[in-house]
Amino acid sequence: MEMLQNLAFGFEHALTIQNLAYCALGCVVGTVIGLLPGLGPLATISLLLPLTYSIPTDSALIMLAGIYYGAQYGDSVSAITMKIPHASSIVACIDGYQMTLKGKTGLALFTAGVSSFIGGTVAIVVLASLAPTLGQVGLLFGPADYCALMLLGFMCVSIVTTGSLVSGLAMCLIGVLLGQIGTDVETGVQRFTFNIHALIDGVSLVSVALGCFGIAEIAKNLDAREERTPFNGKIHLMPTWGEFKRIIPSALRGSAVGSLLGILPGGGPTIAQFAAYAVDKKVSKYRDEIGSGCIEGVAGQAAADEAAARTSFIPLMSLGIPENALMALMMAAFIIKGVQPGPNMLSKHPDLFWGLVASMWIGNCFLLILNVPLVRFWLSVFKIPYNVLFPSILFFCCIGTYSVNNNLDDVIVTAAFGCLGYMFMRLSMDPAPLMLGFILGPMLEEYFRRAMILSRGSFEVFVTRPISATLIALMVLLVAGQLFFTVRGIRAGRRSDLEPAQPV
Amino acid sequence: MPNQHLARGILLAAIALAFGLGALRYNMGSLVHAGPGLFPLLLSGLLLVLALITIVQSRFLEAEPLDFNLKNIALIMLALGGFVIISKYVAMIFGIAFLVFVASLAGSSHSWKRSLQVTVALIVVAFIFQKFLGLHLRLI
Repeated sequence: MEMLQNLAFGFEHALTIQNLAYCALGCVVGTVIGLLPGLGPLATISLLLPLTYSIPTDSALIMLAGIYYGAQYGDSVSAITMKIPHASSIVACIDGYQMTLKGKTGLALFTAGVSSFIGGTVAIVVLASLAPTLGQVGLLFGPADYCALMLLGFMCVSIVTTGSLVSGLAMCLIGVLLGQIGTDVETGVQRFTFNIHALIDGVSLVSVALGCFGIAEIAKNLDAREERTPFNGKIHLMPTWGEFKRIIPSALRGSAVGSLLGILPGGGPTIAQFAAYAVDKKVSKYRDEIGSGCIEGVAGQAAADEAAARTSFIPLMSLGIPENALMALMMAAFIIKGVQPGPNMLSKHPDLFWGLVASMWIGNCFLLILNVPLVRFWLSVFKIPYNVLFPSILFFCCIGTYSVNNNLDDVIVTAAFGCLGYMFMRLSMDPAPLMLGFILGPMLEEYFRRAMILSRGSFEVFVTRPISATLIALMVLLVAGQLFFTVRGIRAGRRSDLEPAQPV
Repeated sequence: MPNQHLARGILLAAIALAFGLGALRYNMGSLVHAGPGLFPLLLSGLLLVLALITIVQSRFLEAEPLDFNLKNIALIMLALGGFVIISKYVAMIFGIAFLVFVASLAGSSHSWKRSLQVTVALIVVAFIFQKFLGLHLRLI
């Protein structure tokens, strides 16, 4: 019952005209950038961060959260109609696009919209019931435990996003090192600044995000030289009752899988979709049809996508540790607005916490309206040619970086990161772990220093404290698992090399 | 054609060395009272280990070619650099024009007319930002 009271309290805050307007704005912007190539949610949120200085704290966070989960919706629309996933909806391309080929675009979009709504709703219940409990656990964490948790997060994100522990972890470390640029908070020494004025305060988050995700992405799209053909087919939205009944069980399964995977470190929408799709393939009544364009193939993954997008707020708001790059960016937004996410957030800013949770459900309703009845309108956004779009995106990147400090030199820093990001992309190094490392870097250093002071310079503290010892054991398991698979992969590769040489 | 895996390892090693050697210039302190150089040194040491692993691994993995398309990224860098210099010394509206016209050269097709339309539209947007969102843009 306490949860209902809390939610009612949250709705009181979320249902003001101003917050409703910002929530709607966030959802619209999120949908658009989800649909369009070139600007993912990461780049957009960092682009809008400087604009939120003048907006009240709760409205700003509600809007940014809306952009995040709105982009997941928009992304699935472009995946279903044109098989173009930008950020995360890779799974929606499989069955969703098959349904489009069968002429059932409307049904696929309806299924995705309704399942996302169900997934989002389930996730909010999970969020509202679990976050306060986990916040209590968060109070038990000491500096050493936080260090271990962050390192575990780095490892999980590395494995999930890049598939390889070594290259992902390397990107995280580069991110942490980039975060070292600037003035050391504790001793006041300038590190790695080369006496360049623009670097004294450190590299700005906006520069890294726009460089690695905005500009590098544009260069990649330009290299690909793909001409997109806008979707022109007919859309018949309303399903029959029989079809509608097939959506529900699959969507509920997806919500459960998504909610769970959203909470785990390194988790998030992408992995949740794959897991939900796999689960549906195993247990669904219609499992034989999955893959050839059936409702279950779309419903489960769409629900998991939205559910995970929301439950990934749980570690951020209860422990104060973001679990993926996007949540790290949300954490930066919280801190800019003077709110420290973590175990104390619930007691210090209950209005903000419950308001944000409630606004997610309101956003859910907005998105359902935006993406189901109004979807035809959004599809016309695709008719903007990329040759018009990309100079405009470059312009917004310039303005976004400039307006952080009103300094044109920052644009040069952004351009440099664009160059670096392009290089990383061409070397197949994923910049998402870098972003996480960059934002968590200063925190990691501070907790490390504190842990060392408390333990008088002994590393033993990491294994004697039960929480950090458990986390470190998990890390050892991850490394061992990765080692096992790498060696097996190399062996298998050798064997297949040898095979053609054998006589038949 | 250079091998992608090897190139990745070398790039990582270069970054690790750059930060590691840089960190040596700062005071280390002790573990109890860490100086500014200690943490970056630890990190770059770890990164160097990962770089070496990557280099060793590249001997075992199948080589993947590295393809760079210098033209597009160079045009974008030129456009951004020009935008900064022109905005600084002349005015931002000319900077925007330079940005759009140079960047458009990287597109799959380009026409002067369309670039001009985009420029005008973006200048209008910039004026809206300046007037209504209170951004300090020195447009003219």
